Amino acid sequence: MRRLRLLPLLTGMLLMMACSSIDCPVDNVVAVNYVVRAFDGETVVADTLKDTLSVWAVRHGGTDTLILNSGVDVKAFQLPISYAQPVDVLLFQVRDTLHRVQTDTVWLSKEDMPHFESVDCPTRYFHRLTAVRSTHVRIDTILINNPSVTYDTSVKHLHVHFKK
Amino acid sequence: MIRLSSICTFISKSRLWLVMLLVCHLSMGSASAQGFLKLQRDTVPFFRGFAVSADLVGLAQMHLSDYGQYEGALRINLHDQYFPVVELGIGRADHDYDEVTNLSYKTSAPYFRIGADVNIAKNKHAHNRIYAGVRYGYTSYKVDIDCLPEKDPVWKGMTQFTISDQQCSQHWAEVLFGIDAEVAGPLHLGWMVRYRNRLAHDEGNIGNTWYVPGYGKQDTSNLGFSFNVIIDI
Repeated sequence: MRRLRLLPLLTGMLLMMACSSIDCPVDNVVAVNYVVRAFDGETVVADTLKDTLSVWAVRHGGTDTLILNSGVDVKAFQLPISYAQPVDVLLFQVRDTLHRVQTDTVWLSKEDMPHFESVDCPTRYFHRLTAVRSTHVRIDTILINNPSVTYDTSVKHLHVHFKK
Repeated sequence: MIRLSSICTFISKSRLWLVMLLVCHLSMGSASAQGFLKLQRDTVPFFRGFAVSADLVGLAQMHLSDYGQYEGALRINLHDQYFPVVELGIGRADHDYDEVTNLSYKTSAPYFRIGADVNIAKNKHAHNRIYAGVRYGYTSYKVDIDCLPEKDPVWKGMTQFTISDQQCSQHWAEVLFGIDAEVAGPLHLGWMVRYRNRLAHDEGNIGNTWYVPGYGKQDTSNLGFSFNVIIDI
């Protein structure tokens, strides 16, 4: 009788051993979050870019690819980051209502860290932003707010201040 | 598919409770008979010798899959009731480049577990035993992870994902239940189900590891199984 009482428990345990699944993270986007900011005296406040913003990534060999297409009323945006380049070069193009185009170049320096979850999950790179600089045609200031680029999409990595 | 996923999730959440229930169930059953940890009073001597054992599941895993372990154990028999145990092994993983993710994973390191089993059978001196036990395990290991070159989808440059000689370590605990049956003379066969839980771990800054020597794969299942050939000395 005692053995019969044990049987369902043992059966349940054996069933559980057979139930295993791959545990890859669902939120596995690694990207840089930019937020538009402005100075209000000494204070940094949220801002909105009223003009149209497009961003290109400059590849090896000088070609480029569009990574943000015609954003309007931009308060924040997310851009991809290269897997393993030491410096990403980005072209920020701002088009105003009179169709005047102003372009800035942004250089984003970083350290790249391979990130592993499992042999069943695709590889990813995490990054630590080390420096950022830009030309100042339309961009007034660009600053690193949080250098750690991981799966955490809530982190605001860079503050961009545009000239009015 | 969704149904299967939800079943697995349910089982995952409930498995700890089931193992605890099993241990409590066995403990209470034994306690009602004569007390879980109470030494049985009889003329049998307290020290009853040693037993050595080898795990066949890890051996089979080693030869049939891309990970596994060679493991042996030394068990002290105290009055057929208490069994302090030391388990030593070498765990290895050699996962060649995955068809989907193009990842390879290699590690090889020793590990140990120490702990004790209690014979919870009613008749302690019978030829067959039922065990409940606990273990503490530790391993220090290095991993090599490599991925075939892949193209950055935006920047189009080729990248090589490589992690070499990453030093890692892990402490873990196990609660186990097992059965040991005498086959002939000093030869016994037995199996054990182990519920494992990580206590502390260090993988540097690489994120996670896949196979940990002695602990197994770090997937969603915390259960392990061993089948032992045991010889009484």
